[in-house]
Amino acid sequence: MTSDNILRNGQSWLARQITNHVSFGAYFEPLIQLLLPQWRSDRLRSKIVSIRQESHDMYSLVIKPHRGWQTFIAGQHLELTVEKDGAWMSRFFTISSSPAHFKKSGLIELSIQIQEKGKITPWLVEALRPGSIVNLSQSQGDFCLTQHDSTTLMIAGGSGITPFRAMLQQLSLTTSNTANSPKTLMYYARSSEHFLFKQELLKYTEQLPSLQVHLIDSAEHGFLSEQHLERYAKEFKTSHIYLCGPANMILHGRKLLTSLNFNWQQLHYEFFGPEPIELEQTSGANSILFNRSNKQISTQQSAPKTLLELAELASTNPVSGCRAGICHQCICQKKSGVVYNTKTQQYSDTGAQEIQLCISVAASDLVLEL
Amino acid sequence: MNQTIRPNQATLDNFAEDLNNIRAKTMKEVGQTDANHIRKMIRVQRMSEIAGRITMVLGFINPGLWVLGVLLLALAKILDNMEIGHNVKHGQYDWMNDPNINSRNFEWDHAGDSASWKRYHNHEHHTYTNIIGKDRDFGYGLLRLSDDTRWKPKNRWQLPIFVVFSMMFQWGVAYHELAGERIFFGKRRKKSSLPITRTQLRNAFFSKGARQLFKDYVFFPLICWPVFLPVLLGNFCANMLRDLWTSSVIFCGHFTENIHVFKMSECENESQGQWYYRQILGSSNLTGSRWMHILSGHLSCQVEHHLFPDIPAWRYVAISKQVQAVCKKYDIPYNTGSFAKQYFSVVKRVVTFSFPPAKTAAQAS
Repeated sequence: MTSDNILRNGQSWLARQITNHVSFGAYFEPLIQLLLPQWRSDRLRSKIVSIRQESHDMYSLVIKPHRGWQTFIAGQHLELTVEKDGAWMSRFFTISSSPAHFKKSGLIELSIQIQEKGKITPWLVEALRPGSIVNLSQSQGDFCLTQHDSTTLMIAGGSGITPFRAMLQQLSLTTSNTANSPKTLMYYARSSEHFLFKQELLKYTEQLPSLQVHLIDSAEHGFLSEQHLERYAKEFKTSHIYLCGPANMILHGRKLLTSLNFNWQQLHYEFFGPEPIELEQTSGANSILFNRSNKQISTQQSAPKTLLELAELASTNPVSGCRAGICHQCICQKKSGVVYNTKTQQYSDTGAQEIQLCISVAASDLVLEL
Repeated sequence: MNQTIRPNQATLDNFAEDLNNIRAKTMKEVGQTDANHIRKMIRVQRMSEIAGRITMVLGFINPGLWVLGVLLLALAKILDNMEIGHNVKHGQYDWMNDPNINSRNFEWDHAGDSASWKRYHNHEHHTYTNIIGKDRDFGYGLLRLSDDTRWKPKNRWQLPIFVVFSMMFQWGVAYHELAGERIFFGKRRKKSSLPITRTQLRNAFFSKGARQLFKDYVFFPLICWPVFLPVLLGNFCANMLRDLWTSSVIFCGHFTENIHVFKMSECENESQGQWYYRQILGSSNLTGSRWMHILSGHLSCQVEHHLFPDIPAWRYVAISKQVQAVCKKYDIPYNTGSFAKQYFSVVKRVVTFSFPPAKTAAQAS
């Protein structure tokens, strides 16, 4: 243990003993918020610099992260937390700008697609102004270019372009020999108006001779297929393939590559939105993944059961009490997915939040921290 | 005393629907105002705790400052336990997604481990309110408060026991919440319904108790070394003031003269209307000013709290008018009164039941 660690552990031990809080920061948080609204002891208070409309349903937040925010690798994401009607709401977004850009300007960008029925994405763009405060987590994720010297094929679907924009911007701003290995981007979008960062991507092809960009209109040319791979990326079998986009696109891509005997070691992918649990989902039933115990169970539409009953069926040993929504003992963290609360008769948000298992039923695939 | 006749099922169904409407209407409004309220309460709590601990030390300049310090610290502890802790532990603010204002994480300035407290309080006490033998809070296993419990000679002494219990209420609750008599001295049950083991319960009890003792009687007195004793004594007084206040509020909520008690057989398979009805008959309110409500953690609206334990408590005052109107409509008794009146009736109940029931007394003589 380093002396830094000892000091930190000692501090948190003392804080628990004399304040009953996990840290002194947590104890003083409400007072500090008087001076610095929205300050959180466990987050990085950062400022919105500007908001840029990218298309009719996509916008970018330009953010100046707090001093304590460490840098990142192109392709990583972070958790953005904002206060909405008194509640902290969190969402994960890919950083769509590059570390080189951050080093130069001290700014990062999050490019966000407006989810039609979403609670946060349509609201954020209305609520935030230059100067508004948001809270950030450190960057995380391993969807990054690791095999710099091999041929790389990037396949983006819709707003799944964001990590690739960060990667290509990084390559264009840094001059290293890794830029020499051949790189291909196949970018699928619903129509020609839906290609984001179009000018920028074309500019990168001029700056990076080893880069090829194909904008593919899926309405006209259809979705990713063997023919497309043969046409745009002949060497795909020896390439490292990076897939990013909506869940069904990833599922489709993985299935296609499996059927072509592609080596899974060379496949990297990132879901956009919650990860579907069952890959071959056919019925209207939902799957529930219990994260900690690594167990899975399916709901039956004919006989809806509460999540508590399902958790018990899956023998995850949930804590329970009154089973009627009174005692709040069965509260559990939902990582993702939508639940229906039978007491309040309301649907939940899609992101991470606390739910009462005994009065919740699954309204989509769920991941529960149990 | 328990002679109110339960309305028929159809009436109770309508009654439940009216109450559910009140609930739905209120829950729709929950949002920023509630977050602002609880954050403000936490700020006042922090400021009075910090100011209290400092002014107490300054007692060597003027003893009046020591008294002020004790009062401020007692205020901080009362706010922490009542308006903040109790309500947060009920999950009233879980929707805020704030890790520090959350029923799973919140730990209060109280001898009882908050997870153990939550386990028994939210479940046993709120589900089986005033059912003899099920709601262990009814008399805390110390006081005989109804003829449904058999009289024992030791009950003669329950008035002085009541006073001592009030003064060290936090330790009483800490011991009681883990069913201390069962965990420490009782037989091991073959099949336990508890989600955690006896050892875990015992460890939680000792580690939280030790932490509280360390904080108030070792750490703070020591860092104020030259005034070690006044600080130690001040912390003791603040804890005792808090205990007297919280126990009085809680006794007024469930042990007043006209409170009803129930048998398990009456409550099996009860409908929502019957449950609501039992909650109202088993609870009593206090009238008072805004600060009276806040200091009691809005347990001054015990009836509303038992009907809707997870609605942010500061809304109970407004809800209580609607609940009273609904009760009037269905001719259901609603128990409320001033603190003095309700407290007096608690003492009266404690005294009354310290004597054997009249019939048994007649047989004995």
